[in-house]
Amino acid sequence: MANPKESVCEEKVFESAFSTYAETLRNFIYYKCGDTDQADDLVQEAFIKLWNNCAKVPFEKAKSFLYTVINNAFLNEVAHRKVKLRYRQNSSAGITHESPDFILREKEFQQQLEDAIAKLSEKQREVFLLNRIDKKKYYEIAEMLNISVKAVEKRMHAALVSLRKDIEYFK
Amino acid sequence: MEQKYDDTFLARWAAGELTSEELDLFEKSTEYSEYKKIIEGVNRLEAPSFDRQKVLAAIKEGTQGQPTKVRKLIPRITYAAAAAVLLLVGYFYFFDTTTYTTSNGEQITVSLPDGSKVDLNADSQIKYNSRKWENDRSIALVGEAYFDVIPGSTFTVITAEGSVTVLGTQFTVSSRPDYYDVICYEGKVRVDAAKKTGILTKNNALRIQEDSLFNYSVKDVTPGWLTGESSFNNAPIQLVVGELERQFNISVSNKEVLQKQFFTGRFTHTSLDLALKTVFDAMEIRYTFDGNKNVSIQK
Repeated sequence: MANPKESVCEEKVFESAFSTYAETLRNFIYYKCGDTDQADDLVQEAFIKLWNNCAKVPFEKAKSFLYTVINNAFLNEVAHRKVKLRYRQNSSAGITHESPDFILREKEFQQQLEDAIAKLSEKQREVFLLNRIDKKKYYEIAEMLNISVKAVEKRMHAALVSLRKDIEYFK
Repeated sequence: MEQKYDDTFLARWAAGELTSEELDLFEKSTEYSEYKKIIEGVNRLEAPSFDRQKVLAAIKEGTQGQPTKVRKLIPRITYAAAAAVLLLVGYFYFFDTTTYTTSNGEQITVSLPDGSKVDLNADSQIKYNSRKWENDRSIALVGEAYFDVIPGSTFTVITAEGSVTVLGTQFTVSSRPDYYDVICYEGKVRVDAAKKTGILTKNNALRIQEDSLFNYSVKDVTPGWLTGESSFNNAPIQLVVGELERQFNISVSNKEVLQKQFFTGRFTHTSLDLALKTVFDAMEIRYTFDGNKNVSIQK
C-alpha cells in the first residue's frame, strides 16, 4: 500500500488506491442499486473525481473521499426503485449425496433468502452484505458509512431478524 | 420471541463476539438453527464479478488530457540537492531549455509538462525545450535515467549513441562512457543507434559496449537504483566502479590496473563499506579505503 501522506496525483499512488478500494466500493454501491453497470459507472466517476481533486487528497484520505463522493452520486442520480440483486453462487456447497427432495427444498430456501435480502431496507442490506459477502468488519463498515459501530450492529441485528421473519421456509 | 435479545445481539453472534454463556443459551433456542441457516445460505453467495481492468481503463480515459494539478520535484536524496537543481533550472529557464542535472550521490524525480516522469540517476543530465514540448516530446540525456511516459505522441530520448523512441511506456536509458544500455520495463520502445535499430518489448534490454551489441532480458519491474541499489548484468567492472564513484561521490585511483572483468550483481547505496566489499571482494580485487573519499586499487 502507498505511503499515507503521498498525494494521489502520483499515478502509482492513484493506482494503489484503485486496487485497494475499487472492488469493495463497487459492491457497496451494487448492494444499494442492484445494477452492476450502474455500479461500475459510479465507481468510475468517483475515481475520476478523486483524480481531479488529487492535490487536496492524500492517500490516507482517499478512502473516505471515495465513499462520500459515491454516496452523494448515488443519492443524486439513482431513483429508489426496487432492487433485483444477482449473485454468483460459489460452488463450495457440494451437496451431492443428498436426496432430490432435499436438494429441491434447499434451492427453494436459497431463492427465498435472496428475495428476502432484496426486500431488506437499503441500510440493512448494505451492512448485511458487506459483512457477509465482502467480509468487512463492523468498524470498517462504520467507517465507510460514517456512522457508529453500534449503529452498524443494530442494522445487522435488524437485518437478521427481518430475514428470518420473511423466509417462508421457516414457517 | 426477539425480546430476550438486545438490539445488537445477532450482530455480535454473527461476528462471533458472544460470551460462551450467551452462546450456550442461544444454541438451545428454536430460532438458532434458522439464523444459522440464513448465515450458511448467504455464505454461498458472492457478488457479481468485477472487471477491474475495464473500469481502470475507463477511468484513465476519463482523466486523459486533464492537467495534473500539482507538479512536483521530489528529491530522493536530499532537499538541498533539489534546491541546487532548482537554481540551475531557473538559470536555464531564460533560454526556454529546461535542464536538470544531478551530481554524484544525487537522484531526482522530474515531472515533464505532460505529466510523464523522469527519475534521474547520479551524475546525469536531461534537457528539453519546454515551449515546444507539446508538439515535440524529445529530451536529451547524458548519463542514466528511468522514464515513465504518459501515452500520447512520440516520445524520444536522444543520446550521443543513438535515440530511443516510444509510445507510453517505462524504460531506462543509460549512456555512460563506452556503454549504452536501454531496458524496457513496460510497453515497447524503439532504439536507433549508430550500429543497430531494434524494437524492445517488456523485460528486454539492449546494450552496446565497446562497439559490440547484446540483447538480454531482465526480471526487475523498475531499475534497482530507484530503490537504493545499483544492479548490473554482466557489466564491465570499469562501469561498476564508475557507478560506485557516482553514487558515493568517492574517487577511485589506479583504475587502469583493472582487468577486463564482468560483474553481475548489485550494491547498496546505504553503506559505502558494504558496497565496496560487495563489488571488490566478489571480483577478488584488493583495495584500500581511507575512510573518507578515496579508494585505491592495489596493483
